[in-house]
Amino acid sequence: MTPLTLGVVYGAIYGLIAVGIVLIYRGTKVVSFAQGEIGTFSLYLAWLLTTERGLPWWVGASAAILGATAIGVGFEFFVVRRMVHANRLSIAVATIGLASLLAAVELKLWGVTPRHLRAPVGGIGVKVGSVYVTPTQIISLVVLAGLGIGLALLLRGTDFGLGITAAADDPTAVRLVGVRLSHVSMFTWGAGAALASIAALLLEPTITVFAPDYAGRLFVAGMVAALVGGLSSLQGAFAGGIVVGVIEAYVRQRTLTSDVPGLTTVAMFALILVVLLVRPRGLLGKAAA
Amino acid sequence: MTGLTRVPAAIRIAVVLVLFGALPPLLGRTLPDLLTAPRAQTLSYGAAFAAAALALNLLMGYAGQISLGHFALVGVGAFATGLTASPLRLGLPFLLAVPIAAAAGALVAFVLGLPALRLRGMYLAIATIAFSFAMVESVFRISGLTGGSGGIDIPRPWFGDFELLQEHDYLAVALLLLAGLWLIDRNVTRTRLGRAFQAIRADEDMAQAYGIDIVRYKLLAFVLSGAFAGVAGAMYGALFLGANAENFELRFSLLLVIVVVVGGLGSRGGVVTAALMFAVLPRLLSAIRGWELIVGGALLMYTVARHPGGFPEAIAEAREKKAIKERERSGEPEPALPTLPDMPRPSGLAERPREAAGRPLLSVRDVSVAFGGLQAVDGASLDVPRGKIVGLIGPNGAGKTTLFNAVSGLVKPQSGTVELLGRDVTNLAPHARAAAGMGRTFQLIGLAKDLSVTENLLLAQHSVAGYTAPEALAWTGRTPKVERELRERASEAVHALGFERYAHTPVKFLSHGQQRIVELGCVLVTAPELVMLDEPSAGMSPGAAENLAVRLADVRDALGRTVLLIEHNIPLVLDLCDDLYVLDAGRVIASGPAREVAALPEVVGAYLGETVLV
Repeated sequence: MTPLTLGVVYGAIYGLIAVGIVLIYRGTKVVSFAQGEIGTFSLYLAWLLTTERGLPWWVGASAAILGATAIGVGFEFFVVRRMVHANRLSIAVATIGLASLLAAVELKLWGVTPRHLRAPVGGIGVKVGSVYVTPTQIISLVVLAGLGIGLALLLRGTDFGLGITAAADDPTAVRLVGVRLSHVSMFTWGAGAALASIAALLLEPTITVFAPDYAGRLFVAGMVAALVGGLSSLQGAFAGGIVVGVIEAYVRQRTLTSDVPGLTTVAMFALILVVLLVRPRGLLGKAAA
Repeated sequence: MTGLTRVPAAIRIAVVLVLFGALPPLLGRTLPDLLTAPRAQTLSYGAAFAAAALALNLLMGYAGQISLGHFALVGVGAFATGLTASPLRLGLPFLLAVPIAAAAGALVAFVLGLPALRLRGMYLAIATIAFSFAMVESVFRISGLTGGSGGIDIPRPWFGDFELLQEHDYLAVALLLLAGLWLIDRNVTRTRLGRAFQAIRADEDMAQAYGIDIVRYKLLAFVLSGAFAGVAGAMYGALFLGANAENFELRFSLLLVIVVVVGGLGSRGGVVTAALMFAVLPRLLSAIRGWELIVGGALLMYTVARHPGGFPEAIAEAREKKAIKERERSGEPEPALPTLPDMPRPSGLAERPREAAGRPLLSVRDVSVAFGGLQAVDGASLDVPRGKIVGLIGPNGAGKTTLFNAVSGLVKPQSGTVELLGRDVTNLAPHARAAAGMGRTFQLIGLAKDLSVTENLLLAQHSVAGYTAPEALAWTGRTPKVERELRERASEAVHALGFERYAHTPVKFLSHGQQRIVELGCVLVTAPELVMLDEPSAGMSPGAAENLAVRLADVRDALGRTVLLIEHNIPLVLDLCDDLYVLDAGRVIASGPAREVAALPEVVGAYLGETVLV
């Protein structure tokens, strides 16, 4: 029971990270490697306002999400927009530049000291099996479900949403239905960054501290979740998150006494290889790219 | 440069060794204040980092295979050095530990390369990140193997009783190792190894059509890159007298990506310069410490957005564009209409069997290809007799190119056989068919567009370059002689094409028609038995198409080659082809002598419509 509960709790976090990755992938066929660092950077903004200035949590959270959105939009404007004809992989490499830049700025401004952010809601939460599920973790599940449904409605139900989905495959068609590609692109990167920030805000209380570069592992798990789900499917991101969370929790429980540390990362690597080699379109993805 | 290459390799290497070996003590003696021990250590660190950058450049810059976890391979080399050289472990001499570190890196890279055969681009990027985490968080922390969280001790190199504890002495060793890697890397790029890598990076289908075994060369790129990374690991480990998992975290791998991209993918000098700048400058000048990643991240984004080839290429391109403009301004006439190279068979080419008398050179029997539910080719058969030009026509979507791909091996037919020179090649990979005597062009032009005309002509000769990979890496055995021959042939071909002025121009700066001619030259330069051309006149002006027709007739009449041709330009087809096959909805609906076929009512109906012919 315990690994399952923990798996779902962490799975929701991974799913949240994965939703942002999936949104950007759907709109641009690019995997953004900067999601983790955008999230971390936004946490510093929240931390400056709440822990340092004593403002309420929601003020800090709003600033974080706004700041992240600005980073995403800025990246789109200064980099992605100038790479219309470039190979998609080059844009992915550019996101590495963004991630390194953000990590270095964090290090320069705030050092390596781990920082702590208050949880949005206090209390130890509900006991499930032998573990407590905190209010934040419950919120994560709810937010994940809400975001998933909301984004699905946007992508399926509106011209603009269809434009996001079609932008990478058939830009001409998007232009013909009267949706401006530059708006779609800006929205995709901005919203993707906002999702990274939301994920970071909701997962920080579970990890309890953050520092430059700290999101790397979580981000990899989120990336695996997105991949397991099929990279382009929002429901897949959700399902992939849970699958990754549960597998990780079971591996961790089984290997607690092992001489070999960190076997969960080996399990992630193996999972990636199995998914990519056996079923490249993932659990719920449409077609292999 | 050319003057330098005339000096025998051994002497050049000796000079470099002496220089590098003598320089540090010399500096140490004359400039003792400048080269302090910490500075020497920093320079050694720069050398190790440059070695790691060369490793990633080989994989990513030459072969186009992305790796975001390359520092994990450096780690493999460092731990392998510790396990073999540490007195507490095997205690082998350092000189033995370096090749072992290279072998360990190569082995792990080989295993990493296996999934890379199936994974491309973004997926490979993700897999390599996960690989990095699995190595750093797990494998590198196994206490029995790597000393766990405390890490492993690695000794400095020692010779007899003399251990290189002085930083100056170690710097000499580090620079020697870096110079060694540089020379090997140079041998990669001036032989068919590097050209095969670059071809794979440019276009895998094209690479196979020139006889390059892409599975083999991708794995070779991983193995060589892993070996380089292993040596870099040995340099690191010995420098810091130890290694632990944290030294090889993902962020170092990503810094390496920054260095290689900003330095210029595929540019050896640029990459080493960038590596030295990123590793050495922040440590020498405390004022800029901490800024390197900020600047690096920004530079990376700027580079990929503006100059994807990095700064060296940006400079070269600017120079090329200027030269083109000057040529235009000076009003020099365009080169005369080109001829095609008529050259003797390459010496590296084994004598090919001839088809039995009365048998066609190429025989395709009942080939069917389906993509999902779509029957692209449906039981097509055709014969191409030696010394003839056979045309394949049909409406768009009739399956002409698919049939071409089935013949050249790029798609696997569900049923049917392909025979070349009386030999069943149905189950051969495309590169093996190329080696067996098939040459082909592509609708979208099968050239490495970033490479020059000469370089493309060299890469096209892959399958006649008869030397092994170890010979190439050491520039020994047959390599120098064969390479000289290949270059002579390439330059003959450039002359024959009349492209002297474009010999060193990247192909992407040529017009479409010019690229077509270069592609034809590349196909002909290895004297294939069968020349397969996919819409050669597409995108050509009428005048150029006419010239092409004359040249193709030469290919048959003067060079004695056999041609299979897909073409939409009906007058050209009727002018040129001996036999004609008409494909419609995947089936051969008519075949026979060209003019007779073109006059058949069903052909006119299915394909030619109301066009009045002849």
